[in-house]
Amino acid sequence: MNLPNPNFSLVFLRRLVSGMALVSPLAAPLEAADFVHEVVPILKQHCAECHTDMKQKGGLSFNTEESFRKGSKNGPILDTAHPEKSLILKVIVSEDEEERMPPKGARLSAKEVGLLRDWVVSGAKWEPGFAFKKPPYEPPLRPRSPVLPAALGNRSNPIDRIIDHYLAEKKLPSPAPLDDAAFLRRVHIDLIGLLPDVGELRAFLADPAADKRARVVDALLANKTAYAEHWLSFWNDLLRNDYVGTGYIDGGRKQISAWLYQALRDNMPYDEFVRQLVAPSPATEGFANGIKWRGSISAGQIPAMQYAQSVGQAFLGINLKCASCHDSFIDRWKLSETYGLAAIFSDEPLEIVRCDKPTGKPAVPGWLFPELGTVDVTRPKAERLKQLAALITDPKNGRTPRTITNRLWQRLMGRGVVHPVDAMQSAPWSEDLLDLLGSHLTENHYDLKQTLRLICLSQAYQSKAESFSELPQEGRYVYQGPRPKRLTAEELTDAIWQICGSAPAKFDAPVTRQTSGEGAAAKPPMVRAALLQSDLLMRTLGRPNREQIVTTRPLDLTTLEAMDLNNGAILDSRLAEGAQALVARKFASSAALVSYLWQAALAREPGADELQAAVALLGEKPAVSAIQDLLWGVLMLPEFQIIR
Amino acid sequence: MQPIDLDPAQPRRDFLKKLSAASLAALMARAPRAAAAEAVHQPTATADACILLWMGGGMAAPDTFDPKAYQPFVKGAPVAKMLSTFPAINTAVDSIKICQGLENIAKVMDRATLIRSAVQPDLGSILHSRHQYHWHTGYVPPQTVAAPHLGAWMAKVLGPRNPVIPAFINIGQRLEGVGESEELKAFTTGGFFGSEFGPMSLPFPEDAMLAVRPPKGMDPGRFANRQAFFKKLVDQNPHRDLMSDYQQQSMLRALENAHRLLSSPEAKVFDLGLETKETREAYGNTRFGQGCLLARNLVEHGARFVEVTTEYVPFLHWDTHADGHSVMEQMHREIDSPIARLILDLEERKLLDRTLVVIASEFSRDALIEGVPGSNAQDQSNAKSDTLEEPKHYGLHRHFTGGTSVVMFGGGMKRGFVYGATADERPLIAIKNPVSISDLHATIFTAMGISPKTMYEIEQRPFYATLDAKGVAIKDVFAAG
Repeated sequence: MNLPNPNFSLVFLRRLVSGMALVSPLAAPLEAADFVHEVVPILKQHCAECHTDMKQKGGLSFNTEESFRKGSKNGPILDTAHPEKSLILKVIVSEDEEERMPPKGARLSAKEVGLLRDWVVSGAKWEPGFAFKKPPYEPPLRPRSPVLPAALGNRSNPIDRIIDHYLAEKKLPSPAPLDDAAFLRRVHIDLIGLLPDVGELRAFLADPAADKRARVVDALLANKTAYAEHWLSFWNDLLRNDYVGTGYIDGGRKQISAWLYQALRDNMPYDEFVRQLVAPSPATEGFANGIKWRGSISAGQIPAMQYAQSVGQAFLGINLKCASCHDSFIDRWKLSETYGLAAIFSDEPLEIVRCDKPTGKPAVPGWLFPELGTVDVTRPKAERLKQLAALITDPKNGRTPRTITNRLWQRLMGRGVVHPVDAMQSAPWSEDLLDLLGSHLTENHYDLKQTLRLICLSQAYQSKAESFSELPQEGRYVYQGPRPKRLTAEELTDAIWQICGSAPAKFDAPVTRQTSGEGAAAKPPMVRAALLQSDLLMRTLGRPNREQIVTTRPLDLTTLEAMDLNNGAILDSRLAEGAQALVARKFASSAALVSYLWQAALAREPGADELQAAVALLGEKPAVSAIQDLLWGVLMLPEFQIIR
Repeated sequence: MQPIDLDPAQPRRDFLKKLSAASLAALMARAPRAAAAEAVHQPTATADACILLWMGGGMAAPDTFDPKAYQPFVKGAPVAKMLSTFPAINTAVDSIKICQGLENIAKVMDRATLIRSAVQPDLGSILHSRHQYHWHTGYVPPQTVAAPHLGAWMAKVLGPRNPVIPAFINIGQRLEGVGESEELKAFTTGGFFGSEFGPMSLPFPEDAMLAVRPPKGMDPGRFANRQAFFKKLVDQNPHRDLMSDYQQQSMLRALENAHRLLSSPEAKVFDLGLETKETREAYGNTRFGQGCLLARNLVEHGARFVEVTTEYVPFLHWDTHADGHSVMEQMHREIDSPIARLILDLEERKLLDRTLVVIASEFSRDALIEGVPGSNAQDQSNAKSDTLEEPKHYGLHRHFTGGTSVVMFGGGMKRGFVYGATADERPLIAIKNPVSISDLHATIFTAMGISPKTMYEIEQRPFYATLDAKGVAIKDVFAAG
């Protein structure tokens, strides 16, 4: 429930008094019930469950005065001519099973019936602007640079200044800082999707310099190939690009892999990146064109509508899927607006089709936030798309940078400032933080690596992840540190290859990889799982089928996944190859192998009893199978798979 | 092997006992959430388990369960006259005739409800996988969210009957290395429910044991040893502060459950090698036949939903685009004994009453009458003739969505009952009681105790067990009215 203003009862009283003054002295002035204090609680207690928010049983919604007065599918529930005969008064006292309201459970008390009767008979006055349904949060469109609170001590990163202030206001402690090893492991996985190798780990731990964390962040972001090949999965999911899948064989779909890979490698500024996808060239048109399904399809899935949906979701965090068939029930977007966006892309004039029934109305090309400008509908398609691309990346459009930086925050911190990340109409838990991230990106020429750097250098990022014994309620989210994340399918696969040195030589993505090193020593870096077609293991571990845009990977390990990890042929053979490769490295002793594995996989030395258990498993001359089982045991540890 | 003690009335409680509360909470807390406020009345189940016998590729009704005027192969005969290429035979029920070649099934038709009037929208003439997607999820592809498979709905709403037998098992369909495999994967999935509710896929029934056995080449001793080592590592983990961490516990629990299934006595249920030679032969030496046998064993030991398919591979099996008649003879042989045997075995084990067995296909077929100049159906035969000239054109080749047969056994359905009818003259469309996919699903869901209006929220919008919650169960086919 939403009270319009804090002086509400005063205002109401005044209005009531002035209203009463107009009542003829002949009609005994009824003691009208106080709407907010007496009527609303009754309606809330007895009626709201079925008649507010998305529920409108019998077609009746109490959300707003308008919907209340409109009545149900049986007509108005108020009889203005004979208020005492109003349906609403009849049903609350009716004994008829079919008619009584509420249909089940406790009836209204005599006192409540009386109050409601008084209110209805005296005209059922509704406080103007009052609504049961919370008016949806409408995020500001313009960018905003928040005023930063004073830094606490040396915590001067703007993120920390905002979060420290946020936590202080809520009287919450700052999460404990992350130690060097845990930081190094997390930042490696987050920025390039690989574990730190043992040499890097040792050097980092031994380094006394105060700025060593910043140097690591910069070095990782400067590793163009590793960066591109890690973030490729994120973008493939978001832009629904893959190497095989529906439509690729018969020309109904086109990859953008080569372009995407290069764009990531070159760290193309995000505004330019978006422009090239929204107003596509042959290299990027796969995204815009979507999937041309064979046969007849729903009107909401024609390529132009797919374009509207993909552009809306990927770049603006707007879900236009609902509004592709009818006006959305969950946010403010209308069918005509989705068609408007689609019509910018469409070669032909579009007719608006509602729930697969043609309406006869033509779609008027238009863009979702006309306050920023419009697309000239008289121009040819290519120009219209350029204009649209310019509007989406207009510096006055804060939605675009907020949407992408929120996604990056979610990837690094485990949960978005706005959650879920595809519903950018939702209120953020910190407007200041969301706006900071967005305007920081714009100020840094849309360089996404700068956003990643800003986050990674904050004390907020460099804190221990939250730990909870029960899954917390999303509705009451309060920031208390990063959320733990799970290694993705690709990260897990890469980790095995990295630890063992057993990556395949071939890959599927049609991309050009650069070699590293000079002359004869030049060799391509390790092939990454992101460059391979999905397989059963990766699918089981949550790599999505990319027919739809999927922006978050599953967090929990399911039992079926766990079965696959226990006995799946793919993991088994990867581990067998890995074990073979480790044998070939000829460790001096079983203990040396164990020590290596713990450092490579967990970024720490084994404890004494861990070492003992592992050496006992291996024996002095370890068989390949024993090493394989050792690998399995370590890789299945939550400590390995959950990034904290 | 003795059937385990299952309490169909209390599957959840049984489940609770065997799984720890923590992982159950994890299961239930997972998004998407069921809309709590809208209390949907769940019907009383007439079946605890469901076996879907899937005739992938388009099973021609006039050559199986809905015989029409028989036309033998005669050179020069008009195609227009070719309705059925098999003569009708009697069944255990006087009024029901089916096609020659299904003699064993004919003997159990007194246990069946035969729906002859299933209809599908036409999603394009050559699109098996799209129709299969529609049939298996109730939603026409493409969808903006990943629609869950029928079996995933059962796994999600009902859960497993026996916690160590996955609730949704898919037998006989390869998802790799076959045509349209990406399209098949798109609906053979838990969809937005997540992979916990997705299928356990057993493409080769005779190898099903491998899915519940330690990895190849790992003897039970080594498997147990590996697990013991893992437990030691978990116990010795220095991060003591995370002992009660939700994510950690839920991951460990999943691993433990998996290991429990892999080393449970029920794992033997997956091993067809333990069946006598006689039993295996009775089910026929085909993947479909062996799949039926496996399905029988799985249901006996607590599976919730099992699909057994003749396997969809473009242009193979029921996907007859040439030589339809002779391919149909093979298909009759492939399904006739196993299905009849399955029904009789379930009955003998007193399982048929509470197991709903459904034979279905994505659409029916008709004689080729469109392979004429101007037709752009490229996958069709090139016969540009109105008369039968070659044996390879003898058969039902053209996709037809206007009247399809569905057979249902047990699970609370009427016995020896026919519902709906198709025309006796071309087009052989449903002329009485047409049944949409939504209504067919509503019937199956209702039998399983799931309301067709059951709803889960995804991306803040409702997603129903049947399209827009509009599926209505066919009352007439339920034995108890």
